Amino acid sequence: MVSVIRLTLSRSTSPQVLRVAGAALIVLVAVMAAAPVVRGRVVQHPLDVAAFLLLVVAVGVFWSLPGDFTRRMKRNPLSIAGFSIIVLFVMVAALAPVLAAPPATSRDPYLIPHAGFLPDPQPPRPGHPLGTTGYQYDLYYGVVWGTRTAFRVATVVVVISVAAGLLLGSLSGFYGGRLDEVIMRITDIFLAFPSLVLAVVITAVLGKGLDKVMLSIAIVGWPVYARLLRGEILSVKQRDYVEAARAAGAGDLRIILQHVVPNTIYPFLVYAAFDTGVIVLVAAALSFLGLGAEVGYADWGQLINMSRSWILGVPGDPFIYWYTVVFPGLVIFLFVLGWNLLGDAFRDILDPRLRGSA
Amino acid sequence: MSFKRRLLMLLVFTLAVALTGVNGVAQGQAVKNPDTLIIQSFGDPESLDPSWAYDTASSGTFLWNVYETLIFFVGGRTDLYEPMLATEVPSVANGGISADGKTYTFKIRPGVKFHDGNVMTPEDVRYSLMRFMLVDRDGGPSWILLAAILGFDTQSTRDDNGKLLPDIWDRVNQAIQVKGNTVVITLKDPYAPFLNIMASWSMVVSKKFVVKNGGWDGAKTMVAKYNNPEKPDAQELFDKDAGTGPFKLDSWDRGTGNITLSRFTDYWRAPAKLSRIVIQKVEEFGPRRLALQNGDADIIDVSRADQPAVTGISGVRIVDDLAQLTNSPALFMNLNISAEGNPDVGSGKLDGNGVPPNFFSDIHVRRAFAYLFDRQAFIDQALRGKGRLANGPIPYGMLGYNPRGKWYEVSKDKAVAEFKEAWGGQVWNNGFKFSVLYNSGNVARQTGSQMLKETTESLNPKFKIDTRGVTWSSYLGLMNQKKLPMFFVGWAADYADPDNFTVPFMHSTGTYPGRQSYKNPEADRLIEQAGKETDAKKREALYFRVQEIAYQDVPTIYIVYPTAFVAMRAWVKGWYHNPIFFQTWNYAYRLSKGQ
Amino acid sequence: MATYIARRLLLLPLVAFGVTLLIFALLQFLTPAERAALFVTDPRQLSSIPAIIRKYGLDQPIHVQYWVWLKQLLHGDLGWSQTARMPTSQALATFFPATLELTFYMFIPIIIIGVWLGTRAAVHKDQIVDHFSRIFAISLRGLPSFVWGLIVLMVFYGGLNWFPPGRLSLEADLFVKSPEFHRFTRIMTVDALLNGQPWIFVDALRHIAGPAMTLVLVEMALLVRVTRSSMLEVLRQDYVRTARAKGLAEPVVINRHARKNALIPVVTLSSLLFVGLLGGVVLAETIFNYPGIGKWGAEAAVQLDIPGVTGFGMFIALITVFGNLAADILYATIDPRIRLQ
Repeated sequence: MVSVIRLTLSRSTSPQVLRVAGAALIVLVAVMAAAPVVRGRVVQHPLDVAAFLLLVVAVGVFWSLPGDFTRRMKRNPLSIAGFSIIVLFVMVAALAPVLAAPPATSRDPYLIPHAGFLPDPQPPRPGHPLGTTGYQYDLYYGVVWGTRTAFRVATVVVVISVAAGLLLGSLSGFYGGRLDEVIMRITDIFLAFPSLVLAVVITAVLGKGLDKVMLSIAIVGWPVYARLLRGEILSVKQRDYVEAARAAGAGDLRIILQHVVPNTIYPFLVYAAFDTGVIVLVAAALSFLGLGAEVGYADWGQLINMSRSWILGVPGDPFIYWYTVVFPGLVIFLFVLGWNLLGDAFRDILDPRLRGSA
Repeated sequence: MSFKRRLLMLLVFTLAVALTGVNGVAQGQAVKNPDTLIIQSFGDPESLDPSWAYDTASSGTFLWNVYETLIFFVGGRTDLYEPMLATEVPSVANGGISADGKTYTFKIRPGVKFHDGNVMTPEDVRYSLMRFMLVDRDGGPSWILLAAILGFDTQSTRDDNGKLLPDIWDRVNQAIQVKGNTVVITLKDPYAPFLNIMASWSMVVSKKFVVKNGGWDGAKTMVAKYNNPEKPDAQELFDKDAGTGPFKLDSWDRGTGNITLSRFTDYWRAPAKLSRIVIQKVEEFGPRRLALQNGDADIIDVSRADQPAVTGISGVRIVDDLAQLTNSPALFMNLNISAEGNPDVGSGKLDGNGVPPNFFSDIHVRRAFAYLFDRQAFIDQALRGKGRLANGPIPYGMLGYNPRGKWYEVSKDKAVAEFKEAWGGQVWNNGFKFSVLYNSGNVARQTGSQMLKETTESLNPKFKIDTRGVTWSSYLGLMNQKKLPMFFVGWAADYADPDNFTVPFMHSTGTYPGRQSYKNPEADRLIEQAGKETDAKKREALYFRVQEIAYQDVPTIYIVYPTAFVAMRAWVKGWYHNPIFFQTWNYAYRLSKGQ
Repeated sequence: MATYIARRLLLLPLVAFGVTLLIFALLQFLTPAERAALFVTDPRQLSSIPAIIRKYGLDQPIHVQYWVWLKQLLHGDLGWSQTARMPTSQALATFFPATLELTFYMFIPIIIIGVWLGTRAAVHKDQIVDHFSRIFAISLRGLPSFVWGLIVLMVFYGGLNWFPPGRLSLEADLFVKSPEFHRFTRIMTVDALLNGQPWIFVDALRHIAGPAMTLVLVEMALLVRVTRSSMLEVLRQDYVRTARAKGLAEPVVINRHARKNALIPVVTLSSLLFVGLLGGVVLAETIFNYPGIGKWGAEAAVQLDIPGVTGFGMFIALITVFGNLAADILYATIDPRIRLQ
């Protein structure tokens, strides 16, 4: 990882960086010239467009770099697929305001605009390319901004879980003894729950809302990271260089930071990739049960929930409202698929023992 | 037009719709389960004990099917009665009601058998009424008879500290006496809706059966033991039946939530046509609809939002525009919001980021919202147009409803004018921000909240309204704590009388004004007077004045008197509607199935 | 081994205690008035909220409330579940047999088909079967189970009327409630056979098929992958090569030598699978109106039935601990290399 960053900054690759950046800018200017609508939106949200451009550059650079990591990724078609899917989603998330402009009077872009209050979903038509859900929430808008929501939820949950896991795992692994026992028992308590069940229980008490959902999924998720870290610490603790570092007077914290944490990045990364998919699925399930995001909020699970009464269609035509399920469902599916593939790819590349057996 | 005429029109209209609604009788699809009626509803009862139950699922199940009352409603009328367990409907003319309107004498029918085999006596009737009043569980229906018989001030058998009133048994005992083969009830004050209450709430239970199962024996000394039971299953009749009705309770399987009733062959008149009724609990609408389509269910619960999904199925009949005694939802404004720890009032000041606790106490603010909210659009969008514009607490078709009563017509200009005058112009200049809450799952209220948000925000960019859905219990809890700035909620009749509506909407001790911090002594006086008045014309005049006050003070924006519809298989015969029915299939005695 | 089991079993009261603590802590975020409102179902009852606060001591100091609650718990009183209309302990006893039955009928196909497919994929690596199984496994993990469940309901009940919702059809239900039917185990399929009523057996299976189908495919995916990778690992081993060199037929090699060892990680996985199923039934039972513990738990959560939610949470936790322990013991028994410490 560090080597990748170093490579980027080295003199031999900076011309490449410039080349990719230049190409991206030219494309952007061309698009802006061609479509005035896009121009307006781009001007309105310069930060998001800048972020998007940065991403394009980063991806381009990353892909064109020589290096062991990228070479291995490019070899496996499935990992290319996973990587592409995720990059696509990230770009949609970054460009959300440009792709689906929030109405001028809207105070919160995550609230899906709706045209009227007709209860029955309407099929795809001009102005609503993916159709509308029950009570006329635009599916396209919901899918686009829902991407941001999905990343937000996943990021928050993973960050909290990793932070808690790091803290408790390192305490547990490094100090061992009684503290280790206690923390391990606590993780046992949390691991005793299927994540959906615990999330349901917690959101029931705390009330519905996306922030409560994030909290409850994080509460369920941290033990695995703690255990991973603890395992890593235990294996490293015995190594010679740690003894040597200790003898040289290095503090515990330094040892942890310098030796242990870098080694855990890879298993964390692998697990986090799979976890992201699970997090989004659990959040969608909670929204389906009525425990998640607010009605009208751009969240994929909520999109399906808003059309719940219509999913089974009308007498004589059970599939008439197919778009209310297919589009959000497909997007969830692709998102989770992408992360699964990416997780597989990471695992194959970073853990030589498991290579070739996925 | 007199209200009686109006009621008649209501009845004729309902009957006409019901009769002409016969369509789609599928020839060729044989009747499934020809002597069993299968109903699928989305909830199940809380308790089958008449002294506990105060929810539609419970009352809808046992009322008039398992338990019967002394008198009953004629057809679809809510103001005309026929004898049931009494042999005659008391009136001033036949001496059943005393001249001062305080004493009611019910002649009890002889030879009526309970499901347990015992014969009904006047003592059973007396016992049943006393039990209903003295059980008085928290949040239960006992207040209905307590207030009616012992006077408006007696809404509970316990004092403010929760202790049983020492003289309560004496007062109840004195009010209800057995004389020969009659039961005489003496009210503290004349109460015009008393017969109406009797028709819905005077369920008769078998004293011997209750006592045999460990229940109250009627003695004064034992009242404390049975008063305010901890949990519903502590009661003897929680899942057992001691009634006289055409059906008896076979089982209530709480695992599945299914109830089975079967025909009572020793019923005091001709036995019911159906041999069995099965009520299944199916929470998801999808499976309910499929069951109706397959013929596995005969009647299902359907909400207005799901109506298209049951329209046009062959063999299924929809009867729409069913009159109801319901005022729901109405938009309430809180005149004194509790701001402590309340995220829904924003900054708590009139600075554009919140509202002060007394925001709605300015009449201009309330009028502005009354002019702003487009009620007809709400009815069209949220209720598919099925409902009548409301102009006060009393619903259409009931005594006291004033068809010419004034209300605010939707007008953006007038709304803007009122906003500009509100709080000396500060509202318009600074703007405001608050939340409108609704109970999640209730789509109509959710739609109303969003409509309100959108129209308000379109007037002035400084006006900000957020909408939020919370669970029903949270909603009630917040309402009780006066934390809700503005909220949608409704009321359905306990009995068919304007008193049951004006008190909760307008009386300062009523359910809603208490949570709105609204009090108008004139309204209180009028309502109390109208409750004691027995002459219909005089009552009507009093209630018309109450409606005027509702219009002038406008603490509450009345929106709609919704109508209902029912979806059933066309092979269900003998069905009719009465606005007071708790469930669309409430009275199953005359139902049968056939082509 | 015995000490290991004992130590793990000590976990049970700890887990139960931990859950009650967690829920109790979360409840403190609500004010007494809000918690009293949980007992109220209608605006008419609002005036009795002070009485409810008094009755349940909701304004007492925290430790007093917790102690009262704990005492109740220790007496076996888990409180009244509003959504189940019965005491929570009775609700657990009523709903769990149905879920147990459902889980059993899901477990079997998942294990059998999953292992079979994974083995086939490993043996025919990089051929069509392998690619199919990989795509199958990878794609199914991303499918939201509730969406799939709704599709199953629509197609297999709405369209074909094969798998109706609920637990039994009307006739079967009435027969089961009649005195002629003896409930031995409360597990419908077993009882049906014990009573000599095969038609009820079939009826019960038809109703199980819906929710089962919802979860089987999704949960199978991981099993297929793990079996495949485990099998591949084993097939590379020396002893397999030796067996092949000895001239043994391929099926014998696979079935007699390879499979047993390949199944070891599958055993560990089965505990994960069990946990996954317990979570999945919450959705599957809700969609198919199957009266099990998952549906009740979901309902209790949405309606804020706190005793119900607590009971549900505790129960699931305990079951999971048991399940994990059973899997670990099985694992240790099968694989002599493992030493439980």
